[in-house]
Amino acid sequence: MTAASHSLPAPLFTAVVAHNWKLAIAVAVVVSAISIAVLPAALSFWVVGVTATLVAAAFTVNAYRRHYFGALLVAPAIAVLFVMNIFPLLWSLGLSFFAYQANQQTIRFIGLGNYARILTNDLAANATWSALINTAMFVVFTVSAQMIVGFLLAILFSKQFPLRKYLLILVLTPMMLSVVASGVFFTYYYDPTFGILSYVINSIAGDQFILMSTKVGAVTGIVFADAWMWSPFVMLLVLAGLVSVPKYLYEAAAIDRVSRWRQFWMITFPYIRGLLMLALLFRTIEAFKLADLVILLTKGGNDTLTISYHLIRIANEQNKTSEGAAISYLMLFMVIVLTNLYLYLANRRTLGA
Amino acid sequence: MTAMTKVKGLATAASFAATLLVGGVTYASADEVKLTMVGPDWPPMRIMKKFFDEQYKPASGNKVTLDIDFIPWPDFYTRVNASLTSGEQKYNFAVSDSQWLGAFIEGGYFRKINDLIDADPELKATMDSMHPAIVNAYSTYPNSTPNYYGFPQFPDVLVTYARKDVICDEGEQAAFKAKYNEKLPCTGEELDNMDWNTFAHVGEFFQRKKGDKLAGQVLDDDFYGIAYQAGKGYDFSTSSVHSFVWQHGGGIWDETKAPTGHAEGVVNSAKSIEGMDHFMSMLKWMPPVVKTGTMDIFVSDQLFREGKVAMNVDWIGLGEASLDPKTSKVADKLVFGMAPGLRGADGKINRTSQIGGQPFVLTTWTTDAQIKEAVGFVKWWLSPEIQHQFAAAGGQSAITSVYTDPKYVTYRPWNRAWANSLDWQKDMWHVPQFFEMLTQQQDQYDLAITGKQDAKTTMNNVAKFQEDLLKNAGLIQ
Repeated sequence: MTAASHSLPAPLFTAVVAHNWKLAIAVAVVVSAISIAVLPAALSFWVVGVTATLVAAAFTVNAYRRHYFGALLVAPAIAVLFVMNIFPLLWSLGLSFFAYQANQQTIRFIGLGNYARILTNDLAANATWSALINTAMFVVFTVSAQMIVGFLLAILFSKQFPLRKYLLILVLTPMMLSVVASGVFFTYYYDPTFGILSYVINSIAGDQFILMSTKVGAVTGIVFADAWMWSPFVMLLVLAGLVSVPKYLYEAAAIDRVSRWRQFWMITFPYIRGLLMLALLFRTIEAFKLADLVILLTKGGNDTLTISYHLIRIANEQNKTSEGAAISYLMLFMVIVLTNLYLYLANRRTLGA
Repeated sequence: MTAMTKVKGLATAASFAATLLVGGVTYASADEVKLTMVGPDWPPMRIMKKFFDEQYKPASGNKVTLDIDFIPWPDFYTRVNASLTSGEQKYNFAVSDSQWLGAFIEGGYFRKINDLIDADPELKATMDSMHPAIVNAYSTYPNSTPNYYGFPQFPDVLVTYARKDVICDEGEQAAFKAKYNEKLPCTGEELDNMDWNTFAHVGEFFQRKKGDKLAGQVLDDDFYGIAYQAGKGYDFSTSSVHSFVWQHGGGIWDETKAPTGHAEGVVNSAKSIEGMDHFMSMLKWMPPVVKTGTMDIFVSDQLFREGKVAMNVDWIGLGEASLDPKTSKVADKLVFGMAPGLRGADGKINRTSQIGGQPFVLTTWTTDAQIKEAVGFVKWWLSPEIQHQFAAAGGQSAITSVYTDPKYVTYRPWNRAWANSLDWQKDMWHVPQFFEMLTQQQDQYDLAITGKQDAKTTMNNVAKFQEDLLKNAGLIQ
C-alpha cells in the first residue's frame, strides 16, 4: 500500500481536481468566513456545513486514490470521536476561561478566574474542597470494599461446586441492574419505617435504628450499595485471571510441597495482577465520578456531597456553565494524575518482578 | 469530480438548505397552527391535553393542534432548562414553577404578555377574574409588580390531610381532651380551626409504638401523629420553613424592595429565627425518616397513604393518589382541612403560606400567528366552563367565579379548604439567582433538620450567603 501511495504526485495547489484537499480547505475557509460575515446565522450554518463536507470529500477522494485504505476505514470513527468528544472537550476548556451562564446572553473573558474561584473563594471553595474530600473518602472505601469482596468471590467461584453456574448468574445480576433501580431499592431497604434493615435491628435491639441519620451511617449505606453493585465486576475480571492459570503449575508446586500461601503468591498472583490493576483502575475512575447513588440515597445530606454531584448542581441546576467547566477540568486533571500514578506503579512492579 | 460537479453539488445543497428555511416560514403562516408545550407528566397536564383534543374549537376557524411533551417530575426542571438554554426554540409554552420565572425571563425565553392583555379585553377580563395571590405568584416578575408573564395551569396550596378513623375515635377523643384540655379536631371545620399548638399535640399524642393501641386496635408497626415536608431535595423544606417564618412575622429577602432591601437582618431577624425554631420543634413527632433529611412531599404522602401517620400537611396536587383504594390504605377514611397556622394573641390564626402549583408561560420565539391562537387557547382554558370541568376532573381553579361556586366544594374533599387558603398565599423570590439561593438554603435547613446546627446559626448562614450573592448580582446595594 505504501508503494502505491507514492505513485500519485501531489496536484498543483491551483488545480481544480477532486483530490486537491489543500485547495478545498482554502476555499472552505474563505467561503465560510464570508458567509459568516455576510449571511444571517441560519443560512451561514448551512454554508459552513456544506464547505466542511466538501473538504471531507476531497480528503476521501485523495485517500482513495492513494490507496490509504486503513485511514479511510478509521476516518468515520475519528470523525465521530472529534465531533462528539474532542470538540466539546476543547470547547468546554475554552469556556472555563470565561464568565458565562447558559441562561444569560453575556460572555466575558476572565482568564483563570473560575479556577481561582472554585479553589480559593471563601464561599465557593469550601464546597469544592469538602466535596473533594468526600469523593476521596468514597473512592477509598468503595474501591477497597469492591476489590476485597470481588476478589474473595472470584476465589470462591474458581472452584467447582454444585449450582455454581446458577449462583454465578445470581451474583452477576446487581451489575446489570440500572443504578436508579438499585438506588430506589436501597432507599426502601434503609428506610426506617418501611425498610427491612431497621425492622430487623429494631426487633433485635428494641431501639429505633435509622441508618442514614449520621454521616457514618450514610457513608456506610452508600458504600454498601455501590459495593453490592460493582463487586461482581471485579470478580468477573479476577475470575478470568484465575481460570487462565495452568493446572500443571499447581501440580508441580504440590509435588514440591509448596505451601498454599506460597502457591498463591508465586503462581496465582502474577497471573491475576494485571487484571486486578485493571479492575482497580476502572473502579477508581468510576468511584471518582460517583453521583447517582448519592442523589438517590441522601441528596448530599449528612456531608456526603461528592464532587460530581456538586458539579451537577453548579452546571445544570444553577446554570453556572463556565464554573462547571472549570470544576470538570479540575476533576479530569485529578483522574489523569491518579491513573498515571497507578500505571506507573503497576509497570514498576512488573519490571521489578 | 470536476469543478462543474462541485458547483452543482454546492447548488443542490444550497437549494436544499433554502427549502428547509422557507418551508419553516410557510408552515407557520398557513391555516394549520401547531402549538408545542412542555409540561410535567401528571394528571393536570393529561387532562389539559384531553380537553383540548376533545373540545377546543378555535374562534379563528384555523386548525390548531396542541402538542405536549410530558416529562416526569424529577427530570422536569433539567429538561425544560436544557431546552430553553440550548436555544432549540422547541416550545411555544412552558409549564414553569413560579420561582423559575426570573431566570427564564432574564435569559430572554419567556415572553411578557402585557401587550396581549392590553390588546384583548377578554384576556384582560380573564386575568382580572383570578385571585390576586395567584396572579402575583404565577405571572409577575419582579414579584408582585404589574409585569405579567404566565397563566395558571395547576394552582396549588398546602392543606391538612387527616385520618377520620383515628382522630374521630371516641376513646382517642376523650383521652386527648383529658390530656390537653382541648378537643381533638375531627371534622373539616375543626381542622380549619387547628393551629400549630394543637397540631403539635396531635403529633405528641399519636406517637405510638408497635404493640400499643390506636383507636382500639393493636398496632403491628410504629405509628406517628404528624408529618410535613422537611427534606433536602429541591424546595422540600423551604416550602414549610417560609410559611413558619412569615407567620411569626419574620421575612425572606423581598425582591420588590431591591436594591435597598437586605437579606441580613431580615432572613436572620429574631422573628425569622423564631419561625425556624417552631418549624424544628415538631420534627420529633414525625416518622423517623425525617432524621435522614429525606422527608420530602412524596415520602410524607406515601407514609400517610400507607397509614403510618394521623395527619400530613401536603400539596393538593398529590391528593388524587390518597383517594384511590389501589394506592391508598386510607382512601375511605379521609378528611381535609386548611393547613394549620399560628394563633395570635387576638385568637385569630395567621396562615401565611408558601404557594405551590405552576403557571404556563409563552416563549419569545412564538410567531404572531401562533400567539393569536395561543391567546385563544388560554382564554378557552381559563373560561369558567372549562375550569369547572378541570376542577371536576381533579384540577384546581384560580378563577374567582369558579371556586366560589357552591358546586366547587363538591368536586373533591379538599376543595372546601381551597378558597379560604388562597388569601394567605405568598411566593418565594422570582429572581434568576433563585436556584443558588434555594440550594444553599436547603443545605442549611437540612443541617438544622438533622440536628447538626441550631436555628440561629442556620438563619445567619442563609442571610450571609444571600446578602453576598445578591450584592454581587446588583440586587442589593
